[in-house]
Amino acid sequence: MTDLSTSNNNVGYLCTDWQVERGLGAKTALKLIDKDEILSEFSFAQLTELSNQAANLLASLGFQKDDRIMLFLSKTIEMYAFFLGALKLGLVSSILFNSIGEDSIIERIKDTETKAIISTSRMNFRLVKVLQKLDPSFKVLLVDESQSDGRFLGIRDQFAQASTSFVTPATDPEQYSHFHFTSGSTGKPKAVQHCHAAIIDHLCSFEEVMQAKPDELFWCTADPGWVTGTTYGIIAPWASGLTQIQLDANYDPTLWMRIIEHHKVNIFYTAPTVFRMMAQQPEAFYQQYDLSSLKRVYTVGEPLDPNLVLWGRRMFHCEIYDTWFQTETGSIMVANRPGLEVKPGSMGKPLPYLEAAILESQDNFLPDNTQGLLCIRKPWKSMFREYVGNPVVYKNKFLGDFYSSGDIAYRDEDGYYWYIGRSDDVINTAGHLVSPFEIESAVMEVPHVLDCAVAGLPDDLLYEKVVAFVVHDQQAQSLRKLDMDIKLYVSKKIASLASPKEIVFTDRIPKTKSGKVMRRVLKKQYLGQDVGDLSTMEE
Amino acid sequence: MAENDVVARMNMVFREVFDNPEIEIFDEMTSSDVVGWDSFSHINLITSLEIEFDIEFTQQEAFGFKTVGELKLAISKKITG
Repeated sequence: MTDLSTSNNNVGYLCTDWQVERGLGAKTALKLIDKDEILSEFSFAQLTELSNQAANLLASLGFQKDDRIMLFLSKTIEMYAFFLGALKLGLVSSILFNSIGEDSIIERIKDTETKAIISTSRMNFRLVKVLQKLDPSFKVLLVDESQSDGRFLGIRDQFAQASTSFVTPATDPEQYSHFHFTSGSTGKPKAVQHCHAAIIDHLCSFEEVMQAKPDELFWCTADPGWVTGTTYGIIAPWASGLTQIQLDANYDPTLWMRIIEHHKVNIFYTAPTVFRMMAQQPEAFYQQYDLSSLKRVYTVGEPLDPNLVLWGRRMFHCEIYDTWFQTETGSIMVANRPGLEVKPGSMGKPLPYLEAAILESQDNFLPDNTQGLLCIRKPWKSMFREYVGNPVVYKNKFLGDFYSSGDIAYRDEDGYYWYIGRSDDVINTAGHLVSPFEIESAVMEVPHVLDCAVAGLPDDLLYEKVVAFVVHDQQAQSLRKLDMDIKLYVSKKIASLASPKEIVFTDRIPKTKSGKVMRRVLKKQYLGQDVGDLSTMEE
Repeated sequence: MAENDVVARMNMVFREVFDNPEIEIFDEMTSSDVVGWDSFSHINLITSLEIEFDIEFTQQEAFGFKTVGELKLAISKKITG
């Protein structure tokens, strides 16, 4: 277990300065490969200095403890430096994923009273429109520009010239550190707030599940806009003093296998959807590469079906471990891991310092092999501290002393947990939770749409796909064009992953007498199954 | 259809799909060069190009393109029969 006997609980400090103090200054912290496959390496000492420069620059620009900022950057050294630098300064930051739509950015900024975005000029086309709808005091800091233009402040030179020395103030473990956004079953996405104390569970879960040796190379492919990409693609490996590799480019099986082979990646953490995409390649494809460096492969985000576990074992010649956690839990809660026999298809077992349970309702614990709500006893260190500005919704996430995940699962007689599905209408597409209500609101804004309902339906690649059932008016000239208009509108307004994969044009949306969409009926109709009792449906 | 026309119409589609009026496509351009070009938006891009050029791609074709140049070549072949 990593010895955390340090006077400072600050996540930024623990990922950088503390590693230097432990004698790891010269060790490579990051192997960063850009889209042109050019490799840059940064030691822990360099990462410390770069994050110090970012902290000093942000301080000189007037940012103060508890100010919220967002990072709209891809996997560049600036993204890592400013994320860690902001933590050191006591700012509260959030990394936005690159394909987020402009309305979503605006809502996120307003809902969290964020003061600035750090980005690059590459994103200006989107940020120009965002700025038009924000308070004039809102700033955009561009890391690749030295000149300022209106509300765009070029900070490239200032960043380069900032002092490399920074003393991180003593940090209260409960001080807020970073936040992510997640979709619930109602309303807009909510900001999930974490604090510096979370690093305890980041480290404990990393050691318990990944079991990385000091000389091993770790690759977490998740976008840092998602909780996995922040917890296990930034914080946990660096706070453990481990070298990690990151790629600033999209999924490409040839490139990915080349990276594993060439850089001798030992631990690989990705999503089941990626696994399914990989499995589309013929087995001969993988035989071209020497992947013998791989010791352990992990997945997270959606269930990993048994066939994929078996496929992974054949391709990578090592064990495949599926893990489970949520944005709200902040770190892995239930996992397959070395030392436990893997039951393909199961979520594994809860980590030893946590208590999981299957509940039907508060204080109503269910026995083994009975489906119910997967819950975790509170508190734990990486547990979210609030939904920003939504205290009632936060309170409703707990059943007495247990956090209710909203996932339906059961525990078998050996203590393994098995995922069944969601208890609400939230859609899990490619490991990302999206709200049908948010998508429906967007679809309703498209010309010629009279009514719509959105549901998650099974998909071979994505686990669930977003399907929109749409009633259109008589003026719609071309359904193919309307289909595309809807998909593009949702993509621009929310994000590409929320864009319906399929549009089903229909005459009416089944609703209850009180006007609630009967998603159950839509799903069963789509799947060609018996729709069951329709007594509550409107006439 | 002249290559310039194909490029101009493709460029228009790219700008529309990725909501970026500044996009200028080039043959070596890949998904990593365009903000927001991920596997989800790729499906929208392909469908939009199919509508624009009144063509259809197989699923294998749709996910086989690595560069804009390859995409342009495939479109040109399809519209010339």
